[in-house]
Amino acid sequence: MKTSIEWLKEYSDIDVDAKELGDILTMTGSKVETIESRGKDIKNVVIGKVLSVVKHPDSDHLVICQVDIKDEKVQIVTGAPNVKANDIVAVAKDGSELPNNVKIKKGVLRGEESCGMMCSCGELNISLHRFPNQIEEGLMILPKEYEKYLGEDVVKVLELEEDIIDFEITSNRPDCLSIEGLGRETAISLGKEFKNPRKNLEEMKVPTKDSIEGLKVDITAPDLCYRYLARMIKNVKIGPSPAWMTRRLEACGVRSINNIVDITNYVMLELGEPMHAFDINSIAGKHITVRRAGKDEKIITLDDTERQLDDSMLVIADDEKAIAIAGVMGGQNSEIEDTTTTVAFEAAVFNGGNVRKTAKKVGLRTEASSRFEKGLSQINAERAVNRAVELAVMIGAGEEVEGKIDVYPTKQEIGKVEFNPDKINGLLGTNISREDMVKTLESLDMKVEGDYVIPPYFRCDIERSADLAEEVVRFYGYDKVETTLIDAETTLGIRTKSQKITDKIRNALVNRGLSEICTYAFINEKDLDKINATEDSDLRTELIKVRNPLSEDYSVMRTTTLPSMLQILSINNSKKNKSVALFDISRVYKDKGQIAEGQNPDEEFIVTIGLYGKEFDFYALKGLVETVMQEASVLRYEVSSEKFNYSYHPGKTAKMTVGKDVIAVFGEIHPEVCENYDLPENVYVAEIALDKLVKYAKIERKYTEVPKYPAVERDIAMVIDEKVEVGEIEKAIQRKAKKILEEAVLFDVYRHDKLGLKKKSVAYALRFRSKDRTLTDEEINKTMDEIIKELETNLGAELRK
Amino acid sequence: MKEKIEEIKKSAKEKIAAITSLQELQDLKVKYLGKKGELTSILKGLGGLAAEDRPKVGSMVNQVRDELEKSIESAEKAMKAKALEQRLEKEKIDVTMPSKVTQVGSVHPITQVIEEVKEIFLGMGYSVADGPEVERTYYVFDQLNTPIDHPARDLQDTFYVTEDVILRTQTSSVQIRAMENQKPPIKMICPGAVYRSDTVDATHSPLFHQIEGLVVDKNITMTDLKGTLEMFAKNCLGPNTKIRFRPHHFPYTEPSAEADVSCFVCGGKGCRVCKNEGWIELLGCGMVHPKVLENCGIDPNVYSGFAFGFGVERIAMAKFGIDDMRLLFENDVRFLKQF
Repeated sequence: MKTSIEWLKEYSDIDVDAKELGDILTMTGSKVETIESRGKDIKNVVIGKVLSVVKHPDSDHLVICQVDIKDEKVQIVTGAPNVKANDIVAVAKDGSELPNNVKIKKGVLRGEESCGMMCSCGELNISLHRFPNQIEEGLMILPKEYEKYLGEDVVKVLELEEDIIDFEITSNRPDCLSIEGLGRETAISLGKEFKNPRKNLEEMKVPTKDSIEGLKVDITAPDLCYRYLARMIKNVKIGPSPAWMTRRLEACGVRSINNIVDITNYVMLELGEPMHAFDINSIAGKHITVRRAGKDEKIITLDDTERQLDDSMLVIADDEKAIAIAGVMGGQNSEIEDTTTTVAFEAAVFNGGNVRKTAKKVGLRTEASSRFEKGLSQINAERAVNRAVELAVMIGAGEEVEGKIDVYPTKQEIGKVEFNPDKINGLLGTNISREDMVKTLESLDMKVEGDYVIPPYFRCDIERSADLAEEVVRFYGYDKVETTLIDAETTLGIRTKSQKITDKIRNALVNRGLSEICTYAFINEKDLDKINATEDSDLRTELIKVRNPLSEDYSVMRTTTLPSMLQILSINNSKKNKSVALFDISRVYKDKGQIAEGQNPDEEFIVTIGLYGKEFDFYALKGLVETVMQEASVLRYEVSSEKFNYSYHPGKTAKMTVGKDVIAVFGEIHPEVCENYDLPENVYVAEIALDKLVKYAKIERKYTEVPKYPAVERDIAMVIDEKVEVGEIEKAIQRKAKKILEEAVLFDVYRHDKLGLKKKSVAYALRFRSKDRTLTDEEINKTMDEIIKELETNLGAELRK
Repeated sequence: MKEKIEEIKKSAKEKIAAITSLQELQDLKVKYLGKKGELTSILKGLGGLAAEDRPKVGSMVNQVRDELEKSIESAEKAMKAKALEQRLEKEKIDVTMPSKVTQVGSVHPITQVIEEVKEIFLGMGYSVADGPEVERTYYVFDQLNTPIDHPARDLQDTFYVTEDVILRTQTSSVQIRAMENQKPPIKMICPGAVYRSDTVDATHSPLFHQIEGLVVDKNITMTDLKGTLEMFAKNCLGPNTKIRFRPHHFPYTEPSAEADVSCFVCGGKGCRVCKNEGWIELLGCGMVHPKVLENCGIDPNVYSGFAFGFGVERIAMAKFGIDDMRLLFENDVRFLKQF
C-alpha cells in the first residue's frame, strides 16, 4: 500500500522525516518496503509565461519564444509543437537541474541563443493526468490560474516534493489498506493524537429507501453478498478532478481517469472500501440483482477483455446482463461516459474467499479484489458510499440525491473479547500495567468494559485474548520484550536410532572421499524410460504426479533415486570433472494406493552412491556398500548376482540381502542408460534402502573376550570351474568348518591355459581358532578333509597340492 | 717378552684402526684374542718363563687383552653405526610424493547448516523430528488455522497431487503430528525439504529446506521465544549477534514476529550483504495460536507455546557467501569440495 506523507498528515502530526517514520512504523507492524522521495532533484525551475512565438529562421521545426519569468525575459528555442503565446509553462533556467541528472545550460541552437528550456510533464516526472489536456510529446501547459505564481519555483507551486512510502500490509489488516488505517497507526506509533477528519456514521445518517431515481436492488445470493448500498448523484458533469485529488491518487499509484471514477478510487484509498460507479441509464429495467453468474455467462470488463463466468461466481446484474464481476471489476456496458448524467455509487461487502477464487479463475487480481478477499466491514461500506457523495458535491461533480438503497442481509457482528491483563502478561512474559494496556487498546478505538474489550467495526481480526496481546505488545515495543530462558521441566535432546545411523553413514562416506549432493525429489516421467524401467515396473505404477508442475522436468515424485544421481553425474561429466565420487541420502515416494484414499503415500530413505573415473570399478563400489553396512553394524548379509535390474549391467550387478529384505542393489550402469544420460561407460551406482538397514542395525555395543588360545592357519588352493562364484566356495568352507573357522581370506585367483578350459585356480588362507581350547592338529586335519571333500563333491573342485 | 707383547699390541691397534668391515674385525678378534690367538698363546707359554716373571708377564698380557677387547668393541660399535647410517641414507624417499590415503570428501552445505542447527537445539533439550513430504492438507493447512480460502493455499504457491494431498509447503505439518500424538512438554525441531511453486532462479527453488521449532508447555512466554532465538543466533552466527523482533502476521501464531539478526558480515555497520541496513531477516516466529493448540487437543488455557521457522538455503548462502541458489542443486564437485 503506497501512501504520501502529505496525506497521512491529515490524520496525525508528523515531526520526523520519511526514513524515521518508516523505521517507527516498521517496528509497530506496518513494514516499509520502499521510500520514494520525489521532487528533490528539481532545481531552479520556475513558472513562466510565453510572450511570443516566432519561427526559427534556420529550421523547419524549431521556434523562438520570448518567455516572462517575472524578474527577466528570456529567449528560449524549442521544438515543442504545442507552444502558443500566453501559455503558462515550467521554465528550466540556465544552470537548472531536472530528474535523472539532467542539467540545463545556456546554449545556441542553429545560431539562436537559448537561455534554458521549457519542460514537458515527463521531464518533471509529473503524470500527464495531473493537469487537463496534456500531451506526451509537447510542453506541460499549466491552467491559467498558475499565472499568479510567475517566477516562483515549480517544486513549491506544484507541490512536487513528496515522500511516498510503500507499506507491506499483512493479510489480517485490511483496515490498513487505507490511508485512514495507516493514519491511525501513524498517530499511535508517534504518540500523537489521531485526528479523524471524516464524519462518523451518526453525523451522516441518510434515510433508506426502496428505490431511488427508479433504481431497485435485490440480493439473491446473501451467502456471497453481505450488504449492498447505493447512493446517487444527478446533473453530473464529467470532467477532470481537482489537482489535489489527482496528486494524491498518483502518489498512491492510481491514474486519474475522470472526476467520478477518481472519487471511487479516492474513497477506496482513503477508507479501504472498494467502490463502483455506474451510469443508471445503462441499467436495463433500472433493477439490479446481485446473483450467481450463469454457467455460460460472459462479460466484457472495463479493461476490454471478454471474461468467461461460471455459477460459482457472483455478479452484479441488471434485468438483461451482468454489469460487473462482484468485487473484481466492472463491465464495459455500464461504464461512466462523458454523456452520463445520473451516477450510482455502489459500496458492497462480499464473501472474501469467493472474491479471491473468482479473481483467480478469471485471472484478474485488482486493487478491489485484493481488499475484498481479506474480508471487509459491512459498516465501513456505509461510510464509504456517503463519503463518495460528499466528495462529488465538494468538487462539483454532481448534486446529491437524498436517501440510500441498503440491502443488508448479513449484519456485521461485533463480539466481545476476554480482557485479562494477567493472561496477556503471562503469554508475553511482560509486566505491563492494566492502565497501559487500556490506553493502547482505547487508542485503537477499542472499548474496554471491565473484563471485556469490544473491538471497533474495522478490526474483524480481533477475536481472542492472544489478539489483544499482540496489540498491546506492538505498541509496548517488540524491542522492549526481554529475553528469558524457558523455566520448565527439562527435556532430553537425543537423536533417534535412524538419525544416529544416518550420521554415521554420512561421516564414513565423506571419510572415504565421497561428496554429498542435494537433489530435487521431482523427476521427469521420461527419466524412467531413460533408466530402462519396464512397462509394468513398480517405479511406474507407484508414481505420484504433481497436478500443477513447473514443467515436465518437475512433474512426478521420484520412485527411484537413480535418475537424480545419474543426472548429477552427467552434469559433472559435462563439466569435464574427471573422477567423481558422490552420495546422496534422500527419499523416494511410492503411492501404493494411499493417495486415492486421502492418505500419505510411502516415503523411504535411500543412500545412493555414484562413481565414475579410472580408479573405480565394481569392487571399489562394493567396498563402499560394505562400509555402509559396517557403519550400521549389519555384518551378516548375502551378496548375490542381480541379472534382472535393467538399469544395470546384467553381469556386473549384485544385490545384498539380509533375511528376505533386499538392502542394496549395486553395480555398473547399463551402457544404454549411460548413453541416455550422456555418461561415459563404467559408471557405478549403489542404491541402499536405509530404512530397511536401520531395522537390522545395532547401536549398542557389548564386549566379547579377546581370544586367549592360539590360532591355526592353513592354506588351501583348488582348480575349479570358472562359473563357480567364490561366494559358493566360501559358503562350502563355512558349512564344514562351523564354529572354529575364524577367517577365510581369498588371496589368489589365477587363470592359465594349463589349468584347462574355463577353469581357474583359487586359493584361500584359513584361520581356525576355538574360544575355549587350543586346537589340535588332528582336529584341524579332520576339518580340512571335510572341507576338501565338500569342495570336491559339491563344487567339482580339484585340490592343488 | 715384554717387547713382543708391545709389538702385538701395536700391530693389533694399527690393524683395528684400519678395518673396513665387521668381518675383518671378527678375524682380528680371532687372530689376537681367540683360543689360538697370539695373546692366548703367550699365556699358554707362561710355564716356560721364570717364576718371578710369570705374574708380571701374565698381568701385562691381561692388560693388553682388556685394552684390545675394548678397542675391538668400540670399533665394532662405530662400524655398526656407520653401516646403519649408510643403510638409512640409502633408504631415503621423496616425502613430497603424493600420499596414498583417499582425500576426504565433503558434506553438502545445506546438510552442514542443518547439522549445526540440530546440534545447538539438541544441546538445549530439543528432539529432532521429520514427517512426510507428500502430505495431507489437513496437516499443512487445516490444523494450522489456514482456512480453505486462505491465500497460502493458492495454486501458485502449492504443488497439488490431489485436492487433499500436496507437497508440504512448510515443515509445520510435523509439529501438528507431534502435538496430536504427544503430551506437553514438547520441544522439537523439524528440518526438512519443503515445496513451493517458484521457478528456479538465483534466489528461488521449487524445493528448499526449512527448519522449524516448536515448544509447548505451561508458562511458555514470548520472552522465552526471544531468549531461545537469541541463544540460537549467538551460537550459530557468533557471540556478538543481536536479535530484533518486528511485528508480523502468520495464521498459526499470535502474536507473530519476524526476527532480524545483526549482520554477521559487517556486525551491523551496514554492508552489501545486509543492503546497508545492518540487519538481516532471519526467520518468522510467534506464540502458537490458541486455535492451533485447540485443534490438536491441547488446552490453551493451561498450555502455551512458541514456534519459529527459517529457510536453510538463505542461511547457507549468507554464511558461505554463495550468490546463486542454483549452485546448491547443481552439485558440481568443484563446488562441493569447498565445504
